[in-house]
Amino acid sequence: MDLVDPANRPSRKAPLVWAIGAAIPWLILAAVQLVWFVIDRRLTSLHIAAAAATAVGIVVFVVVVPLWRYRVHRWEIGPKAVYTRSGWLIQERRIAPISRVQTVDTYRGPVDRLFGLANVTVTTASSAGAVRIVALDSDVADRVVARLTDIAAIGAEDAT
Amino acid sequence: MTTPATERVWHRLSPRMLLVHPVHEVLRQIPLLVGAVVLGSATGNPMWSVAALAITVGFGILRWFTTSFRIERDEVQLRTGVLQRKVISVPRNRIRSVQTDARLLHQLLGLTVLRVSTGQEAKHDTVFALDAVRAGEVPRLRSILLADSLTRADDTGEERTVPTGRVLARWSPSWLRYSPLSFTGLAMIVAALGVVYQAGLGAVLQHSRLAESGRDAAEKFGIVSSVAVAVAVVVALSVVLSVLRSLVTYGNLVLRRDADVLHLDHGLLRKREHTFDMRRLRGGTLRQPLLVRLLGGARLDAVMTGVAGGGEASLLLPPCPAGTAETVLAGLIEDADAVTGPVRGHGPAATRRRWTRALAVPAVTAIALVVSTFSVTIPLWAWIVLAVLALCSALLAADRARALGHRVDERWLVARAGSLELRRDCIATAGVIGWTVRQTFFQRRAGVATLVAATAAGVKHYRVIDVPADLAWSIAATASPWVAESQWARASQSVT
Repeated sequence: MDLVDPANRPSRKAPLVWAIGAAIPWLILAAVQLVWFVIDRRLTSLHIAAAAATAVGIVVFVVVVPLWRYRVHRWEIGPKAVYTRSGWLIQERRIAPISRVQTVDTYRGPVDRLFGLANVTVTTASSAGAVRIVALDSDVADRVVARLTDIAAIGAEDAT
Repeated sequence: MTTPATERVWHRLSPRMLLVHPVHEVLRQIPLLVGAVVLGSATGNPMWSVAALAITVGFGILRWFTTSFRIERDEVQLRTGVLQRKVISVPRNRIRSVQTDARLLHQLLGLTVLRVSTGQEAKHDTVFALDAVRAGEVPRLRSILLADSLTRADDTGEERTVPTGRVLARWSPSWLRYSPLSFTGLAMIVAALGVVYQAGLGAVLQHSRLAESGRDAAEKFGIVSSVAVAVAVVVALSVVLSVLRSLVTYGNLVLRRDADVLHLDHGLLRKREHTFDMRRLRGGTLRQPLLVRLLGGARLDAVMTGVAGGGEASLLLPPCPAGTAETVLAGLIEDADAVTGPVRGHGPAATRRRWTRALAVPAVTAIALVVSTFSVTIPLWAWIVLAVLALCSALLAADRARALGHRVDERWLVARAGSLELRRDCIATAGVIGWTVRQTFFQRRAGVATLVAATAAGVKHYRVIDVPADLAWSIAATASPWVAESQWARASQSVT
């Protein structure tokens, strides 16, 4: 027996938002290297090695990983269960029954807000069972939350 | 409830704590008191030491006057703190278990500490602990506190009732044979040395007569034999300490089942009693550390909601004959097959992965050694060490591959894995509230996956490592009908 992949992709803006989120620390690192180069011009080979490492890091984490993640990420909410696929190098498929859902949280980071995205976290009584649906368009996220709280009838039972 | 305990009155702890608190306070403030004594002798004014002692004792006495608790209809409250006042409230329907604990001093005075635990992990200062009440009051308080979550008819409030119910296991001296093989003795030695050095006694020791004679002996007999003697002494000491600790902690252990409640009593000097609510039992874990396994032993942990997964909290049986642990677990979960039945292996891909992982370190070391022979000469012992390392790794890989397996039906998910610590997790499928199939890059290439069952009990996640990828969802679907009935379920093309 197998499970087919969930149907829905995250927002089209997701790769862009992930890229921006990853770019910020890398650009800070690049700026630090630039300052270092301006202050101290000896050790040219070391400068080149550091610059090359940063360039590779930027290409991998700002370009490749967001696109890769976008290819992998999927989510779907069925009548009885939530099902997601996520990750890139390590990929995860996670399913949780809606009857056992305890809370439904939305989270919007600064970059998410800029692009109108939201992340939904569905928690169950197990700390290992939380299902995250990331990088949804805000209106989709709102519908997801409304739908989940509707089905779950949260608080009706102990859910352990 | 018409017992006085449910009225809206604040109760004090046992007045005998007026004796215990000052002693504990003095023990807790030893560094401060040592400082005061030093200050007193340095200034030539012993009043410093006396004043510090008096303040400490006074503080201890104040603790009794400032601590009170009350039991209301829907919650219990505890007020504590001399300078910082604190109120801890616990809703009564959240109380999962009540534990008691009596140190030596408490026992002498007939007192018992009563701890209430809820599902949440409580931090040190938010634990609801009544420290301490009279031992005779414990059954009454226990039944009041658990009245909401446990419907028990006994314990109406007089003296402690005679233990009833069926005894599942009782400690026997032969269990001691598993304890020399643990690291607790070594850990105790290291901890003791740490305390000695922290207290600044290291310098004193260095110049003591003992250290001097040790140095003389080392000069006389040579370094190698002295080191050998030192190691032998440490090992012997650690074995003795391990056995002693095991005896003191678990001697007189009794595991008793009383309808829906499981009682675990143990401890010679420090008496402890755990009460587990059987309705929250979601399975059990048999753990066999390598050395214990060689002697045919196992320890048993309960998998329960509201009880932390590892360590002391979940322990039902310390290392004991594997047969005993298996019988007890089979009795608790009422399914002998889940406990002792054969498991289904994970196939050649999983075995291959065990071997490549175990042999990676020796292989890399061998390559490094071969490469460096071109520049330096490698001594013979390096090759011998490498050979021993490779042999151990191979044995480890073979054992881990053999151990790997799972077993699943509608009621129980069983996962077995490990070598240095072989564990067999038996998890009730009804308690599984989520499934994860995780594949790393290499797992995808090898066509295997790690299946993780999420539950609210025990360590919260139980893994079935490296199952063939096409089997992972079948296991989940067998255990949880809601997976099989979901809209995503499809019969797979490949033959499993």
